[in-house]
Amino acid sequence: MKSSLKMTKPLFGDVLVLFLGLIFVGVLFSTLWNHAPAAKVQIRLGDKIYATYSLDQNRTVEVKGPIGITRILIDHGKARFASSPCPNQYCVHQGWLSHMGQAAICLPNQISLELLGGEKPFDSLNY
Amino acid sequence: MMDSKENKSIKIQTTVDDHRIAKLAALAISLHLVEAVLPSPLPGVKPGLANIVTLFVLYRFDFATAAWVSLLRVFASSLLLGSFLSPAFALSLSGAIFSLGVLFVGQYLPRKFFSAVSLSILAAFAHMAGQLLVVRFWLIPHAGIAYLIPIFMGAALVFGVVNGLLTNYLLSMNSAKQAG
Amino acid sequence: MRFLALLMVMLMGACAKPPLVQTQSYVFGTLVDITICGETEEKAHAVSNQILQDFQRLHNQYHAWQESSELSKLNQSFALGKSPISIGPELSDMLIQAQVLSKQSQGLFNPAIGGLIAAWGFQRDEFTPVEIQDVLIQELVKANPEMSDIEIKNNSAYSTNPSVKIDLGGYAKGYALDMAVAELHKQGIKNALINIGGNIIAVGQHGVKPWRVGIQHPRQPGPMATLDLPDGWAIGTSGDYQRYFEQNGKRYCHIIDPRTGYPAQGVQAVTVLIPPGPNAGVLSDVASKPIFLSAPEMRQSVAKSMGVDHYLLVDAQGEVTLSVAMNSRIHWLIEPKSLIIQ
Repeated sequence: MKSSLKMTKPLFGDVLVLFLGLIFVGVLFSTLWNHAPAAKVQIRLGDKIYATYSLDQNRTVEVKGPIGITRILIDHGKARFASSPCPNQYCVHQGWLSHMGQAAICLPNQISLELLGGEKPFDSLNY
Repeated sequence: MMDSKENKSIKIQTTVDDHRIAKLAALAISLHLVEAVLPSPLPGVKPGLANIVTLFVLYRFDFATAAWVSLLRVFASSLLLGSFLSPAFALSLSGAIFSLGVLFVGQYLPRKFFSAVSLSILAAFAHMAGQLLVVRFWLIPHAGIAYLIPIFMGAALVFGVVNGLLTNYLLSMNSAKQAG
Repeated sequence: MRFLALLMVMLMGACAKPPLVQTQSYVFGTLVDITICGETEEKAHAVSNQILQDFQRLHNQYHAWQESSELSKLNQSFALGKSPISIGPELSDMLIQAQVLSKQSQGLFNPAIGGLIAAWGFQRDEFTPVEIQDVLIQELVKANPEMSDIEIKNNSAYSTNPSVKIDLGGYAKGYALDMAVAELHKQGIKNALINIGGNIIAVGQHGVKPWRVGIQHPRQPGPMATLDLPDGWAIGTSGDYQRYFEQNGKRYCHIIDPRTGYPAQGVQAVTVLIPPGPNAGVLSDVASKPIFLSAPEMRQSVAKSMGVDHYLLVDAQGEVTLSVAMNSRIHWLIEPKSLIIQ
């Protein structure tokens, strides 16, 4: 394009469409990127990472800890402690985890669940 | 086509416009092929230069012609690339149909306020939406697409603006030529 | 322009986004999480393991109910009304500090009520409903064990009140945090985050941004809010959702009111944020309890007397009260149904 591009005044309608387009894209970023559901669940036993599973499946995982076998249920985008040999069942009562950063722990059996998927909104959880 | 019992040679009457349209269609196909060969940073994200031709035809001729050129491009390119009836073809066709749908309505926007840039942006969004729907409901039915949608739509916006500006430029050159 | 970018990257120092080395372990009777940023894996693991070992030692030495611990031996001596026994300098320092804090909280922070804690079954690894022995509880309240009953001199201690039984549960995690920070500084680690059972202290930053912590929702599995923890700041929460049991539809948590002998009612959680200082860790552990135990109209003044500017309280109805300072730092993820800023 060797001829000069004449810079005519942009049309009002064009500016409007461009502006609305920018808002549209912005809204997409803010809605789809902030509440992105978690992609993986990380199961830890004691000090070590026991396993990391994709949340996109239906699966039961049995983990043997110091006091017995804990069953963890993964079901298409969410995970939970299904059963555990601990006396208080706090872990089971936590219910379904479905968002990035959510975690549950069975202290007596030293098993923890954490949902990972992209950037966690924080580095550590105070409780 | 003229059906005749006599063994006359069949002549298809073509007008000057037909020639022009054919040339433009060929140009659109070429642009599509060139883009198909060039690598793109994100799979499925292309500048869509062939859409410039579609818009140009819409302004110079009419919607029906633009639709012809567009669909011709989709079918011919896929045949030439050997991707007829493949996923790539489905994406291309879906995108074309959605953007034509938007152009069908958008062509009535008052030219005083809206130039090809507006139509190009709207068509680009529609094109991308059509492609994303094919991906989501046929090719990869996976929730993970949510992350990509904003990026693809952002790219559509950018390319929509660029293509629209190029179309405006070409239209002004072309009318300058026709005027003088 | 490129030069400037390169320079900036170099100046940011070692802690760009990766490498993060995270170590998790079950010590201290709870989950401990150490995150170190900007060091080699070997160094990070070596330092983390050292700190975890220190924690294990603290856990064993000052265990509230294992009879072999140094603390238990001291408690036994108190119970028998014996003459002073010698204690290590570390325990001596801890007890003196606890005395100061107990006084500062007008007795609401009272580590001497181990007897009451045991009566409610919280001196165990797991918590199940216990038969509520009201008579015993009233006796213990009447006996009024206090930190001021303890005389500490020249690394020896005795108690004028045989009912004093020290349980450092609401103090030890904070002490461990301060100890860990000292160790990290000694080892030259500039950026780390230590989480002991939910109590967190920050060293340095996470790359170019401060460390960010989430605050657990008292009744839901995820965080209700996040806030930034700059270098040296500590955060602690006392809640009724970690150590508790339910009986006849009522929840009995591990935070016992020394005045009544019964677990606090009416509050789900209190979070305090402590600015940098040599005792930031201790304060983050201790200071939430007096606020937890105070009547609603007293909370603000109690916080002030503990030197706490940043606090947040969730009551039994899920309504939130927080200080102006805390309000300016907190980012809500789940908006509370009502908010009182004081």
